[in-house]
Amino acid sequence: MPLVNNKVGDDCTASGDKALADGKALVDSLIKVVACYRHLASCVGGCTDSLQLRNELRQTREKAQNLAGDICHHLTSHLRDKSLPDGQRKEMELLWVAFSSCLELLHVDMCKVLNISGIVSLADSASLVHTGLEGCSDVAARALSLPDLNQAQTDSLPAGLESQERSTMELEISQIDRMIDDMEMKVNVLRWMVEPHGPQYADPLSSTDSASMALQSIDEEQQAPTSQPLCQRSHIFVLLLL
Amino acid sequence: MTIRNALRDHGQRYRPRMACLKKAEKVLLEMQDPCTGVKSQPQRLVITIIPHAITGEDIIAWLADRFQIDAQEARSFGSMLVALGYIYPLQDHKRLVIKPDASLYRFQTPYFWPTQQWPVEDTDYAIYLAKRNIRKKGILELHEQEQYNHLHKWMNHKWDFVVMQAKEQYRAAKERKKPDRVVFDCQERAYWVVHRPPPGTVSAMDYGLDRRTDPNTDEVTGESPHDLLVKYSATYSGHDPFLSKCLPSNPWLTDDTTYWTLNMSNVEIPTKMRVERWTFSFKELLSDPRGRDDFRLFLKKEFSGENLAFWEGCEDLKWGTAVAMREKAEQIYKTFLARGAPRWINIDGKTMEITVKGLKHPHRYVLDAAQTHIYMLMKKDSYGRYLKSPVFKETLKKAICPEEHKFKNRRPSLSPIIIRQQEQEQRAKMAANAPVDITQVMSKLSKQGKEMGPRHSK
Repeated sequence: MPLVNNKVGDDCTASGDKALADGKALVDSLIKVVACYRHLASCVGGCTDSLQLRNELRQTREKAQNLAGDICHHLTSHLRDKSLPDGQRKEMELLWVAFSSCLELLHVDMCKVLNISGIVSLADSASLVHTGLEGCSDVAARALSLPDLNQAQTDSLPAGLESQERSTMELEISQIDRMIDDMEMKVNVLRWMVEPHGPQYADPLSSTDSASMALQSIDEEQQAPTSQPLCQRSHIFVLLLL
Repeated sequence: MTIRNALRDHGQRYRPRMACLKKAEKVLLEMQDPCTGVKSQPQRLVITIIPHAITGEDIIAWLADRFQIDAQEARSFGSMLVALGYIYPLQDHKRLVIKPDASLYRFQTPYFWPTQQWPVEDTDYAIYLAKRNIRKKGILELHEQEQYNHLHKWMNHKWDFVVMQAKEQYRAAKERKKPDRVVFDCQERAYWVVHRPPPGTVSAMDYGLDRRTDPNTDEVTGESPHDLLVKYSATYSGHDPFLSKCLPSNPWLTDDTTYWTLNMSNVEIPTKMRVERWTFSFKELLSDPRGRDDFRLFLKKEFSGENLAFWEGCEDLKWGTAVAMREKAEQIYKTFLARGAPRWINIDGKTMEITVKGLKHPHRYVLDAAQTHIYMLMKKDSYGRYLKSPVFKETLKKAICPEEHKFKNRRPSLSPIIIRQQEQEQRAKMAANAPVDITQVMSKLSKQGKEMGPRHSK
């Protein structure tokens, strides 16, 4: 797909470029926030679940929703603009697809968190599943782009907080629901026409996580050599019995 | 949760065999209780210690104790929990079974528990595979590689998003502490072994086809099919000709056709059992011709006979020949639906509008809406009054309860044992006073055989 030569253009394309760049930046940060939300959500119901985690979830969620609202306005207004040049339209549609996928991920994660908080209650700390985790506060900091979070130490669970949280969450989920529906109604993006730019394989990021990779592979190998002889011994034993 | 996300779900909401998931969750929450659950130990990995590892033998012992079952069954149960994805093995992660030894397992975080409401998305799988590839290029196994290529093809439009999201999730993971990172990776890996099993393995998440309605509840009344079945069996067990006695007798057993004669459709006086069946449901009443007659009589007295007549007309249209359809529809319209019709039925304006519009191009089911409306009207209103009416009470009083068949006219048939005994006696007697000639003996025997012959057949 040939790129539009943006230098030969009028103000329209220049501002369109800016709009595109803005949109891209917004979508990128939404992707980041959604990724962080997923990590936080994976801790819900586990032994690291706490008021703090719920706060972080809430803050991340709010940020995601604000971003989503902004992107929605931005992209809808541009895509409904019929005078948008073709090249930019394609880019916008790409952003649109990324945005709707983000929203879908966020929606599912929010629903799951709501569901889990129904099954495993924070108030009953014995029922929090022992998953072997220790905590993930830095993830929230990344999501909110803050150097660190002000950890408010609250030990007691205020009464009625959980039910209040549930109703807020349900509201928010239905909001996202409606946003997705609205989007589909207002702008018709033909998904089969959208072509991505990037490669099939994500490039390995530098400073790979070699330490934890090593831990995991040792995990496997630790038992493997011992299990092999055991198997053979049990085979022999069985043969002897027969 | 009342949030309906039909758009995202694509109508694939109901995965029926997963009703056991709720029960498995309860068991799991009990198992991980720090006081009464399975005892956990820390897992040592080089220099890190990760808590909350449990051994296979402990799991099996706990299950056997909790449910009072033997070790074999506990092992199967444990394997089921692993296969569903509630517990994952730390070593040999691709084999989802419980080994009754010191192999280690860990509880899966609730986020990765199998759920009934949300299907496992291919987008997530693509992101996961992309993430694995970021960590170490070429680590994907053959089937994963194939899946990745396949997803790249059909999910091509969101591939940029997939790659970006994978990168971001990877970066977010780096923010976590090292042991937590390892645990999360194990959790995610275990999740995908359950939901995208390697080829050649059977997945516990295989539930057959998706359903359009929730088989766990009756959409209208909210009862489970289990309850409905129990209710049905309890109500009808007395009326079942196999489970209980058929009065007077089952014609297939006694050759006595009184039962059929007494229960014919145009019989004047019905049996008590039959009348009792009419009280079970409105459908029973209508489907029994004698019951319908009784109901018709009642409605005549109430001057609302047109409802039943209309309903019968609709049935006739539905089940009748295609040739006669147009005529029948017109007839019904003239008789029941037109303004000032002789037997005008009372249906609401909306239904009337739809029906009249549909009658312009009549087909078999054009009167369905109106028929349903009238049916519900009769069911909710007239049926109740019928059951309390003098007509019904009269019928009930007159209903007969036939006596049980007495087996006095049973035709005696010779038992083959007796016949054989008689033959043997005959032979013994002949042997005693046997003629010398063998041919005479044979002829005598054959004669007797012929005599016996007619008596054998009944």
